[in-house]
Amino acid sequence: MPFSQYFRLIDVMARMALRADATRFFLGYIWWVLEPLLWVAVFYVVFVVLLGTQQPDFLLFLATGKLAFVWFSKSVTQASSSIVGGRGLVGKINVPKTLFPMAVVQECMYRQVAVFALMFTFLLSSGYAVTATWWYLLPLLVVNYVMIVACAFVGACLVCLARDFTPLIALGMMFLMFTSGIFWDVRGLSDPHKSEMVLAMNPLAFVVDAYRQITMYNTPPDMLHLLTIGAGFGALLCAMVLLMRHRSQYLALRALTA
Amino acid sequence: MSDHKKRVMIELDNVSHSYHSKRKSFDHGKHHVLNRVSLQLYEGDTLGIIGRNGVGKTTLLQLMAGILAPTLGEVRIHPGKSASLLTLGLGFKPDLSGRDNALLAAMLQGSTRKRAESFLVDIAEFSELGDSFNEPVKNYSSGMRARLAFTTALMTHVDVLLIDEILSVGDAHFRGKAQAAMKNRITGEQTVVFVSHMADQVKELCNRVIWLDEGKIAAQGDSVEVTDTYTQYITKARKAGAGQPA
Repeated sequence: MPFSQYFRLIDVMARMALRADATRFFLGYIWWVLEPLLWVAVFYVVFVVLLGTQQPDFLLFLATGKLAFVWFSKSVTQASSSIVGGRGLVGKINVPKTLFPMAVVQECMYRQVAVFALMFTFLLSSGYAVTATWWYLLPLLVVNYVMIVACAFVGACLVCLARDFTPLIALGMMFLMFTSGIFWDVRGLSDPHKSEMVLAMNPLAFVVDAYRQITMYNTPPDMLHLLTIGAGFGALLCAMVLLMRHRSQYLALRALTA
Repeated sequence: MSDHKKRVMIELDNVSHSYHSKRKSFDHGKHHVLNRVSLQLYEGDTLGIIGRNGVGKTTLLQLMAGILAPTLGEVRIHPGKSASLLTLGLGFKPDLSGRDNALLAAMLQGSTRKRAESFLVDIAEFSELGDSFNEPVKNYSSGMRARLAFTTALMTHVDVLLIDEILSVGDAHFRGKAQAAMKNRITGEQTVVFVSHMADQVKELCNRVIWLDEGKIAAQGDSVEVTDTYTQYITKARKAGAGQPA
């Protein structure tokens, strides 16, 4: 399949899914903004009203982390079941299997535009200003996207091999949510070595922290670290593309029969 | 033109296909679908494949379309030729409208978006879906789905058409119309593999027939001879089944 046709198909499939999704719900496209707003509302009730957190701008800290994390978790979770979920098409036509997770990743990316818009609105309305440091968001977004695509491909293949990976991936996302510093500050740990270890061992913790560093604390991220993460996941992504091309018919068989 | 002068479009050489099933009722969970099947499909051929349900007809088409790989043996598709499998049923995305499904199907077969969109008017007209064409497919009756599937399939242009049971559903009026349209397509230069369990339909449409039974080729050759042998076998099997004590 030519590259141009491949990317056009991803775009068409993503837009169709978004439209279908919007018609399924009474509130339609409003959910794109309403869902992240509800997340923030829940955080407000739990952390500000019930727990009475005193830390300044803690609500914004939570929202920035959570809304950045949601892009990764939703994309990977939904993309994981995309080949198996598309087995009607898989059994009908020999198309690249990466098409299915890529269409989901694209769909989630379109949604995330609204989420980021909301996140930046929160930041700006809370007195934070757009500075030159915000340019660092561009490489950060690219690395975050490469991470998402690579993990989406891995998840989609694993679920093809055994459906049991579906609950495991959901559990893995929960684990990542608690270990990536969404509800706590990675840099606020009492032992600085532990902070360094979390940032080094968990690339998602680094990415979540980098969003906050850039937008809230006007500090550029460690670019070498960011590029290393990008290169690592880029290599994984290339390996997965080759594997999925080479084993396309095996993945089809697993999706149809497992 | 004799067969040996025609170009071979798809060739199956000693092809076997099996897969592991979770249910252990087969050979230690291994399900043997096809066993050492060899056949050649020539350019312009209309090859019929008949056989009872579950003998491996759909799997044979999936191997020919390159969707699945054989466990043993080799499937050779003429370089640069496209084969597309047209089947009813699960190919649709139920939340999408008939229009979106038709557009997506045409694009997946290789059409550009513009070309795919140009098919939509004809698809809407032939399928007789009216306003329902813009409704989600999940709201369709099985007859409406069949009409959309057939019409979308009819509009695609590929080198080898692999047709799976596509003419066996829908109401009598649409079935007649669909069969006439398909016959029109087949009598041209189109290379077709046509799967059905309806022997009469195969006899009428195909010039060569393969009878598949329990994963093996039971007979192949002239469509009239093979379908007649198959019909006699089925009739005999039915009588034997009816004669057995309950």
